[in-house]
Amino acid sequence: MLQPVPFDPAVAAALSTLPETEPTAYTAAKLPELRAAMAAQFAPVPAVIGDRPVDHTEHIVPGPAKLAVTVFSPRGSREPAGCLYNIHGGGMMLGNRDMDTPRLVALVLELGVVAVNIEYRLAPEHPDPVPVEDCYAGLLWTVENGARLGLDPDRVVVMGGSAGGGLAAGVALLARDRGGPRLAGQLLLCPMIDDTDTSVASRQYAGLGPWPREVNRAGWAQLLGERAGTDAVSQYAAPSRATEFGGLPPAFIEVGSAEGFRDEDVEYASRIWAAGGRAELHVWSGGCHGFDLYAPDAELTRIALTARASWLQRVLGS
Amino acid sequence: MSAPPRPVPYDPQLLAGLAAFRELVEPFPLRADTILASRAHFAKVMPSLDAAIEGLPVRAEQHRAPGPPGAPEVALTVLRPRDPVHGAPGILGIHGGGLVLGDRFFGAGELAARVVQFGAVAVSVEYRLAPEHPAPAAAEDCYAALVWFARHAAEFGVAPERILVSGASAGGGLAAAVVLMARDRGGPALAGQLLDCPMLDDRNETVSSRQFAGIGVWDRYANAAAWTAALGARRGTESVPAYAAPARAAELAGLPPAFLTVGSAEVFRDETVRYASRIWAAGGRAELHVWSGGYHEFAGTTPEAEVSRSAVAARDSWLHRVFAR
Repeated sequence: MLQPVPFDPAVAAALSTLPETEPTAYTAAKLPELRAAMAAQFAPVPAVIGDRPVDHTEHIVPGPAKLAVTVFSPRGSREPAGCLYNIHGGGMMLGNRDMDTPRLVALVLELGVVAVNIEYRLAPEHPDPVPVEDCYAGLLWTVENGARLGLDPDRVVVMGGSAGGGLAAGVALLARDRGGPRLAGQLLLCPMIDDTDTSVASRQYAGLGPWPREVNRAGWAQLLGERAGTDAVSQYAAPSRATEFGGLPPAFIEVGSAEGFRDEDVEYASRIWAAGGRAELHVWSGGCHGFDLYAPDAELTRIALTARASWLQRVLGS
Repeated sequence: MSAPPRPVPYDPQLLAGLAAFRELVEPFPLRADTILASRAHFAKVMPSLDAAIEGLPVRAEQHRAPGPPGAPEVALTVLRPRDPVHGAPGILGIHGGGLVLGDRFFGAGELAARVVQFGAVAVSVEYRLAPEHPAPAAAEDCYAALVWFARHAAEFGVAPERILVSGASAGGGLAAAVVLMARDRGGPALAGQLLDCPMLDDRNETVSSRQFAGIGVWDRYANAAAWTAALGARRGTESVPAYAAPARAAELAGLPPAFLTVGSAEVFRDETVRYASRIWAAGGRAELHVWSGGYHEFAGTTPEAEVSRSAVAARDSWLHRVFAR
């Protein structure tokens, strides 16, 4: 039995108030119910923004899937702004873009950027490669429509948390390999990138924390079906499968020390460096998966948000 | 032998600071036959203690601790807030300099700043240098200083359980060694270990140690020369003890919380990441930051760069978190 890294005290206190979810609940039959319960927790966009000076518009990415996109802009900005192209999390099988509205509105206000929030289709109804291809299609739409959205297409950072971080990394690989948009960066928050679930960290957090090993395995199984864990998995679905790390945009990789994705995320950064690439890595002591969302008032969260903003300023310019 | 791997580029905001730092501390390369000249040059360019603490509400006192068995006494400088403190945090500061140069006044300004910031008492230790005193003489001196500090904590208004060990570069490696000694010998219980771009691994075999050969400060060749000075013919063999090179430790469980910080564009990147990963694998507490495009000692030597400001903020946050416990 592997000893897990303990949670930061403020994180542990926040986790102790969460309701328990049975890992066995993440079956295809139960997903609609879980999604509905989750969606009920996300406030609508106008309520999140309140009276803060952020505008939002709704768009549809043309194509058979008619993907919905919300664009957030700082009110009154005239110059083309840097852009955060955001992909929400939820293990590839859960969640919707509203879950990231608070994070994006805060970044729009702090950094004066435009944020584009994509609604991609979920597994298992839409297995790999649908989610990452949807996200890539949304990126192309964003860059093509940069002028009317008020953003500078040369200053686009793809970002996401958890599954969204994995999809953002996949989109960055796709953009490189297809000669797509030249990205200014990839902001990967506790990214889900390795379908093999073989790391020490993934085993330390079996049955423990807000995203335990069993739930993670369910997510990969919904996305990849029987291919999960085999050699038939694409690098765009599970970026840890990539073999070539040259030519990627600068990466920011953040993860908690007390979660299953710790080691795969550290490894991803290490492989970028080994290829001579630019990556910044932060492993926050005692952070659980998504600690900033569960413990918004913790010192750990305050400093993690500071580090993110610092890196974004460096890659987007001020 | 294949070509050296392509290095990670430096942050553009750090380029001028890197050039200036290199010009200051490495006007000629550190090699076996330039160690003494480097040491003399370093002593000349580093600010004095008085200059380091000028204007700060800090008192400096000189003390001597009993040395390790059979070794001379260890000289210490204690930096304390001008006003008395009680139950204060303590910091054992271990200077850098590749195990071959520097003295306890190198980095005193940084330590004094922490004293003011946290109401802490700091002790800076004068350890014996290589090659005259091979490893682990330096680590043993630092451990002797820790034992003395813990024993005299109350006299300085320090809570013994709030002492942490801190160092940069060679000082970071020695801090890690002292922490291992304290664990293995049933020594003082520590609040933490702050390992800033630590020099942990004598083998010089990582990707980053090959990426930074002939560029930056403290490159692969300087690192090899320093480790050879410390270990002689033992370097890279199986007979290197953990107290000489903490990367050699077989067991990293049971350690106090660690803070590891390093630039992505320097030799020590991979060994620092590896050390943190091994602590986590053992269920231990460690925070790791690898700053994009940072050179060796970037944060202290180019403090105005955005990446340096972020690095300092992360370090201060961790200090607040460990001192709050």
